[in-house]
Amino acid sequence: MNLMPFEQRILPHLDAAYNLARWLARDANDADDIVQEACVRALRYMKSLESGDARAWFLTIVRNAFYDWIARNRPAEVVHDDGTILDATEDPAATDPQDAVIRNAEMRGLAQAVADLPLQFREVLVLRELEGLSYKEIARVTDVPVGTVMSRLARARGLLRRSPLLRAIGAQRAGSQ
Amino acid sequence: MNCTEAKASLTAYVDRETDWLHAHALRRHLLKCTHCAAEHDALVALRARLQSEVPRFSAPEALRSRVRATLDAARGASPARVGGTPGRWNWFTGGALAGGMALALTWFVGTAVFDWRTNEDIAVEAVNAHVRATLGNHLIQVASSDQHTVKPWLSARLDYSPPVPDLAEQGFPLTGARIDYVARRPVATLVYRFRNHTIDVYVHPETSRASPPPLRTVRGFNVAHATGGGTDWLAVSDVSTDVLTAFVERLAATRGTKD
Repeated sequence: MNLMPFEQRILPHLDAAYNLARWLARDANDADDIVQEACVRALRYMKSLESGDARAWFLTIVRNAFYDWIARNRPAEVVHDDGTILDATEDPAATDPQDAVIRNAEMRGLAQAVADLPLQFREVLVLRELEGLSYKEIARVTDVPVGTVMSRLARARGLLRRSPLLRAIGAQRAGSQ
Repeated sequence: MNCTEAKASLTAYVDRETDWLHAHALRRHLLKCTHCAAEHDALVALRARLQSEVPRFSAPEALRSRVRATLDAARGASPARVGGTPGRWNWFTGGALAGGMALALTWFVGTAVFDWRTNEDIAVEAVNAHVRATLGNHLIQVASSDQHTVKPWLSARLDYSPPVPDLAEQGFPLTGARIDYVARRPVATLVYRFRNHTIDVYVHPETSRASPPPLRTVRGFNVAHATGGGTDWLAVSDVSTDVLTAFVERLAATRGTKD
């Protein structure tokens, strides 16, 4: 089997793949498994990668691997991110501050607020802010129209700005000055 | 533009995903409307915090080993890998590899002569030139932030006169230029800075063939391409893709006004 295309075009994006899987699954070990599975799939479908953007192609596979994985292992999260319930999460009170304080021990402030975002907003935000993908590339990876990418990003940022975690930190900063 | 329209396009604007006209209309609105200007500033501030406070995770070494093991398994019972009969097989695969590389080289040189833009690997060549220049400490042959010094220096050494836009006000000061040899042609390379990053820009008269993709990543370097005013602009840098894309688009748009 010729592995040169995989080694030259896919392996350089292993960090991007891991970062996406890690933010989607919110767990280091699960991210390992998802990326490993995505590599196996990428190897299998290598022929369908033409001259296009290998990074977006690979990230699409990582995302699909994640959704298959979460449907098997944490089906509740998928249901939770159903479109109708998303509207309820716009309410900042939906994040229990007590709960947030406990998790704050692991990850603080803004990073925790990002981790708390509903899945569909989290994925576009991570692809945009951490991977620097264009709207068009994000649309391709997440399989939604560019207009949807834009509205999800706008809402993701809106949720972050209203996040009680962020406000708590802002208050602390203001107080310490 | 009114506030409702402005609010709808602010997200795309801070992501540099609006077209020139739209961005212009929005900027004019922001000058007049303090409410929308505050919204804009808050978004920009949030993006800055996201970039600095939210970690980008790197693949751990254990995962890399796992992936490598998968690759080895996929190679199957390839004799060169299993290593039972080292001498003969290694020699054989080595020869095949060299042959393959020679073939690839022939193909590459052949297409490169044909047209510098038909070959997608122009981006790879540009990155190679960028890396060579950074390593060899000859990043700049003419050091000047003055386009009126740089342009004549380049024109005297090339068979074309490249435009040298001044984008210092936009945060991209010119630091100098050099001549590179890309796809078997001497090419003008303008060297700009953005914060602590170097941006190399390969400037070439536009040709009629299909364009390379607007954005690519080659060995960790971003390569952005734009065409404007009869000129091809290919920028290579380690700055983020959105900054680089916005930058080449500015370059392509300034042609004619500053020249």
